[in-house]
Amino acid sequence: MIELLATVISSAFFVTVIRTTTPLLLATLGGLIADLSGALNVALEGQMLVGCLTAVIVSVYAPWYVAVLAGLGSGAVLGLVMAFFALRLKADIILVGFAINIMAAGGTVFALAMATGGDKGTSINLVSKAIPPVDLSFLGVIPGIGPVLVSLLSGHSVLSWVAAFLVFAIWYFLYRMPWGLWLRGVGEYPAAPAAAGIPVNAVRAWSLVVSGGLAGLGGAQLAMFNYVGFARDMTAGRGFIALGAVLLGARHPVGALLAALLFGAFEGLAVVMPGLFADAPAELIRMIPFIVTILALVLFSYRAQRARQMRTLSKS
Amino acid sequence: MAPLLQAISIGKTYPGGVVANDGVNLSVSAGEVHAVVGENGAGKSTLMKILFGIERPDAGTLLLDGKPVSFTNPREAIEAGIGMVFQHFSLVPSFSVYENVVLGAEPRNGIGFDREKAIAEVRALSEKFRLHVDPLPAVGSLPVGQQQRVEILKALYRDARILILDEPTAVLAPQEVEELFVAVRALVAQGRTVIFIAHKLPEVLEISDRITVMRAGKTVGEVGSSEVTEQSLATMMVGRDVALRVDRAVTAGELACEIKALWVRSDAGQPLVQDLNLHVHAGEIVGLVGVEGNGQAALLDAISGAQPIAQGVAYLNGTSLGPLSTLERRAIGVANIPEDRIAQGLAGGASVAENLVATKLADRRYVRLGLLDLKAIKSNAIALIERYSVRVGGPAQAVSTLSGGNMQKIVVARELSEQPKLLLVSQPTRGVDLGATQFIWKSLTDARDAGAAVLLSSADLSELLALSDRLVVFYRGRLVAAFLNSAALTPETLGSYMLGLATQTEDEMKVALR
Repeated sequence: MIELLATVISSAFFVTVIRTTTPLLLATLGGLIADLSGALNVALEGQMLVGCLTAVIVSVYAPWYVAVLAGLGSGAVLGLVMAFFALRLKADIILVGFAINIMAAGGTVFALAMATGGDKGTSINLVSKAIPPVDLSFLGVIPGIGPVLVSLLSGHSVLSWVAAFLVFAIWYFLYRMPWGLWLRGVGEYPAAPAAAGIPVNAVRAWSLVVSGGLAGLGGAQLAMFNYVGFARDMTAGRGFIALGAVLLGARHPVGALLAALLFGAFEGLAVVMPGLFADAPAELIRMIPFIVTILALVLFSYRAQRARQMRTLSKS
Repeated sequence: MAPLLQAISIGKTYPGGVVANDGVNLSVSAGEVHAVVGENGAGKSTLMKILFGIERPDAGTLLLDGKPVSFTNPREAIEAGIGMVFQHFSLVPSFSVYENVVLGAEPRNGIGFDREKAIAEVRALSEKFRLHVDPLPAVGSLPVGQQQRVEILKALYRDARILILDEPTAVLAPQEVEELFVAVRALVAQGRTVIFIAHKLPEVLEISDRITVMRAGKTVGEVGSSEVTEQSLATMMVGRDVALRVDRAVTAGELACEIKALWVRSDAGQPLVQDLNLHVHAGEIVGLVGVEGNGQAALLDAISGAQPIAQGVAYLNGTSLGPLSTLERRAIGVANIPEDRIAQGLAGGASVAENLVATKLADRRYVRLGLLDLKAIKSNAIALIERYSVRVGGPAQAVSTLSGGNMQKIVVARELSEQPKLLLVSQPTRGVDLGATQFIWKSLTDARDAGAAVLLSSADLSELLALSDRLVVFYRGRLVAAFLNSAALTPETLGSYMLGLATQTEDEMKVALR
């Protein structure tokens, strides 16, 4: 137990948590934008998975940043596909989302086999690139706290910094820019923005595109930093955990950050624990992030219900 | 003077062949209040949607300032200076008043949203047009009358010269109607033009300068409001003389329904009906008066079984209703014409015949050995369609394809085809045309005369005054007044109790709570 505590409060664990959190946070922000626009994006999982594979394959032939953009782009395209079916052809958005997830699960394996010449499990035969870590070791010259800063802040993925910035950028967009007002209005009561001449479906379509793009970016981080290379179903439910994190984060960007950190921390725990508890089955330990997700959502909806009751009582 | 806005021989046929507008003419002069009246389905809403760019006309021209215009969407109409306040408000509940007002045309500073400026502009507008409302609170927390002002401010913020108000008084209490009219007059005094859609004729005559009458998709004529009376307008609207009068109950019978110390709570535990005591006798209609959401609906739900009774008891002819299921209550003579016929009263995709027996599936006439007797169901439907003169293609037609009035007739036919002992009625004629209204009123009074005890709730005070033998007023879940209906009872009197401005004492109420 003491070993576990020592591990958890070490700076190495902090770095691990940031690494596990980043793809989740990007997908959660994507889910948040779609959810606030009133178009629930259940395809985050599939968009992430396609983002993973696209990034890996492109990185074989192109520089890492092109691969990252390709991952983002592939998610965005899937978001656009979703918008086309759900908004233009008026298909049920949940079913469209699941169709994308199923197609992504099968399609990535198929495309992987095509790209590797028959390997249906991993991209181990492809020489894919990684996202370079941001080296901040120059901070070490700061007297006193320098070394601590370096151990905490140096070596993260570029996308971790991007994700942190996006939390702020999306908050600013949602609450300080007119378009954010449009987006939230469209999500809450579409008749109002429609009457004010705001193109409701265009707002939703853009939200889905951005949402898919963020999920794809999360996929790029997963396949080019957390792991280097693609493995079938490597997203392992992160897209669905992200959907839960949107709710748990009270549909707010900062809440999304905290929720993603929570889930990221437990995923980090699942990474370090097998080394510490050799006799505990690894499968059980890997279940921890998912069990925490369920518990957190149950607790959250219980609290939300209580809060609603309190609110209506105080109003009377 | 040339008219400000003119519509010339507008035609609009919806896909499916419904002719909504057929050669409609409208001519509105600057600075007037112009009412457009007509029954439901006369084509008023379609005409307004065309003026506001929601629908495009198939024929005819629109002239604004004498120049032809055509709007492909509301945004273009807004830019041309036309604003519209819909009957169902288009407001985002969690947004503040000022956010709602500026939504879609926000003042900006760089890439950001300039909140300070938005608040200041909303304050200035509400000052200028005497539409008092605080810009800061969330719209969802405001009463309906204030929400309507927010809607009007929204149009004015976009600099609307012409303001279309679609049945603005439908949701307001009489005092709020007065405030609205003050604002409308202030608007006109400052050079704005108001188009006022309505079907409550006394209000139309009070507020408007000129009136265009529509019937069955055509314009019947345009008159000055000083030249007409309520009666002559009604005749123009319907095309024949209408008698919207009903006979009072002859005598009240035995005590049928007794409600004692009844409490109803919302799911969140908030009291909706508090400590209510009420007697309803066979052969009388008791009108439940109140602004929506003050407990009338909750009372009806608790008695029908849609919502549990939290405390207290309700008896029907000595049987306590509390422990009974909705079906068991129906079996002992409770009938229910619910507020929302589409969501609660009917199954839209099912056929007319199926809907007409939906509450009678325990009846041996229609169901034997667990199998439907299709022949009996069909002949029942044919008989009821005939008796209630429902305009429908046949018993197999899906209910969702009927007009509002015919849908409501199906509900009424089902509930009244067997004489009920206790009849619960909510908004029986909302969205129903005058002809069907007359018919439904007659059906209700027939049921009453045959011995039903009737509890009637309606947002339309004139309906309550026309039908009820006694009236009780709800305010925040409590009874605050009770009246025996008489010609001397006015909507204004009821209004002051509805808004909680006045409360009767126990003794005053006792007279009418027999």
